[in-house]
Formats: sequence, C-alpha cells, structure tokens
Amino acid sequence: MATLTRQKPVGQSLSVTLKGTRADRVLLALALLLIATAWWVIQAVMLSGPAVAMIYHGSTLLASYPLPGPGEPAIHVTAGGELGDSEVIIDQQGARISASPCVTQLCVLSGAHRHAGDIIACVPNHILVTIQGSEDSSYDAIVE
Amino acid sequence: MRQKRPSLQSLEYKARWLALLLLAVGLHLFEASLPSLGPWFKLGLANLVTLLVLVWMGPRAAVALAVGRVLIGAFFIGTLFTPTFLISMAGALSAAVVMVLAWRWLPGISLIGISLLAALTHMVAQFVVVEGLFIQQPALYYALPPLLLLSTISGWLNGALALYIVARLNYEIQD
Repeated sequence: MATLTRQKPVGQSLSVTLKGTRADRVLLALALLLIATAWWVIQAVMLSGPAVAMIYHGSTLLASYPLPGPGEPAIHVTAGGELGDSEVIIDQQGARISASPCVTQLCVLSGAHRHAGDIIACVPNHILVTIQGSEDSSYDAIVE
Repeated sequence: MRQKRPSLQSLEYKARWLALLLLAVGLHLFEASLPSLGPWFKLGLANLVTLLVLVWMGPRAAVALAVGRVLIGAFFIGTLFTPTFLISMAGALSAAVVMVLAWRWLPGISLIGISLLAALTHMVAQFVVVEGLFIQQPALYYALPPLLLLSTISGWLNGALALYIVARLNYEIQD
C-alpha cells in the first residue's frame, strides 16, 4: 500500500529565507531604482501647475476642473461612458465617482482622491478621473 | 473494448493539480473580497499557488492553473468575459509566462526573484491592457509607480513564503 512520508525539511527559517539569493537582491535593487526614477519623473510632471481634476472617456478629455478650496461649492459632473452616465463630484475632499452604471462599483468604492498622480478608473464604463498639479488654481474650469 | 486503467501516478498528479487549482480559486475569491489598496492591486496569494505548481509540476501545469483559476474565479465572482476578467487574465497569464521564463533562463535566481518579477509583470500587464483596450490615456500610468512598489513588497514576501512551503511540503510516495 502506498504511503505518504514526509521528508526532513531542507529549507531554512522564514526570516533567513526572506533574504533571498544574491541574484534576487540585484533584481530587487534594479526594480526599486526603476520605480523610484519613474515616480520622481512623474511627480515632477504631475506636481507642476494648479491642482486639477481631469475627466476622460476613452481617449477623449471630457472636462477638467480645479479642486475647490475651502468654502467653495462642490462641482457635479456627468460623464457619459460606454454603459451610461458616471456621476463625478469634485469638492474639498478631492474628486470621486459617486454613481456609476458598472456592475462591480469599484470606482465608487475607491472614494475621493486629491493628490497629484491619483487616478479613479471605471474600466467597464471607460471613464478615468486623474488629479494633476498641487498649487492653488487661478481659473474656474476648462470644458471641452 | 476495455480501456486501460490510468496509472496511480497519473491519477495522483491530476488530483494534486485539481486540489491546487481549487486552492488557487479559493484564494482568488478571498482576494477579490478584500478592500482594494489601489486599482487592480491584489496581494498575489493566488499567484503563489502558480509558483508552487511550477516547482512541483512544471511549466504547462502552472500556466494551465493560472488560466483555470481566473476562468473559474471570474465565474464565481460574476465577471466572466467582462473587462475585469480580461485585465485579470492578462495579469495572471503574463505573470505565469514570466515565472516560467525566469525559472528556466535566469541563473542564481530563487523563487523570491521569480515571484518578484511575476508580481511586477502582473501589474504592468494590467495597465497595458486597460490603456490598450479601454481607456487610451497615458495618464493612467501616473498611478503605476506606487502600485509597483506594493507589488515589489508582495512579490518578495510571496516568494519567501513559496520557498518556505516548498522546503517543508517535501513529500514522497513510498510503496
């Protein structure tokens, strides 16, 4: 009759295992270097200019609005997508999708975002909201 | 005409693969139910099973498991053939292929390095699919660096966990 026998463990403890091999550590260093460089370049691009929420449908820019300051009213935008209309609210907390026709509702659940480089993507409805810039805005809205 | 009975070894191989597939599907569903840390970021526990299958059963079994768990997982979540399914499939399949290539061709690399490369590939592939098929905006990639950093951490930890499991689940069938 066939029996399963356990062989003696050949590995080390988890803390020792975590160190990886020399090749693993070289890969890690390369990955971190690439990520840090990309992050730095993107932040340099994204942080310039006023803080603006950009709303896209597919490859089309639908509208961009500056993030309202304290005391300024919230902005409600209806963005037409593949499945229907996504409702975007831009207020002091940032930009968020408050309603979407998609099934998963992940875009709604992701909440408000206000930092440069943040994105909210509703892939089924092909809607993207990005935050760019970090300075106070000097204009009211740009709509295309 | 009587069919030849499959060998015990063949049956055991298939049973083990199916058990690991079910484990991967379970982890896939578990990860889908967790709150999101960012767009399309998962802990990668299901990919950990792909890595284990690669070591225990070879490249074909690993790629088949990656495809199978996304298909079955999407069926249970209700996202089969939706954009979410395509994104998930692209990530899982590309990660599995990179695992196989790294396992075969990169000298000195352990499961940790393989897992790290797979995690990074998984994340990048998802963004490429979204940008290519659904939202044609390079602005999408602005969110990539912090998510790649999270993938680096999760990939490293999953690789270490895979090494630990492989070392301790070292069973042999004896007659």
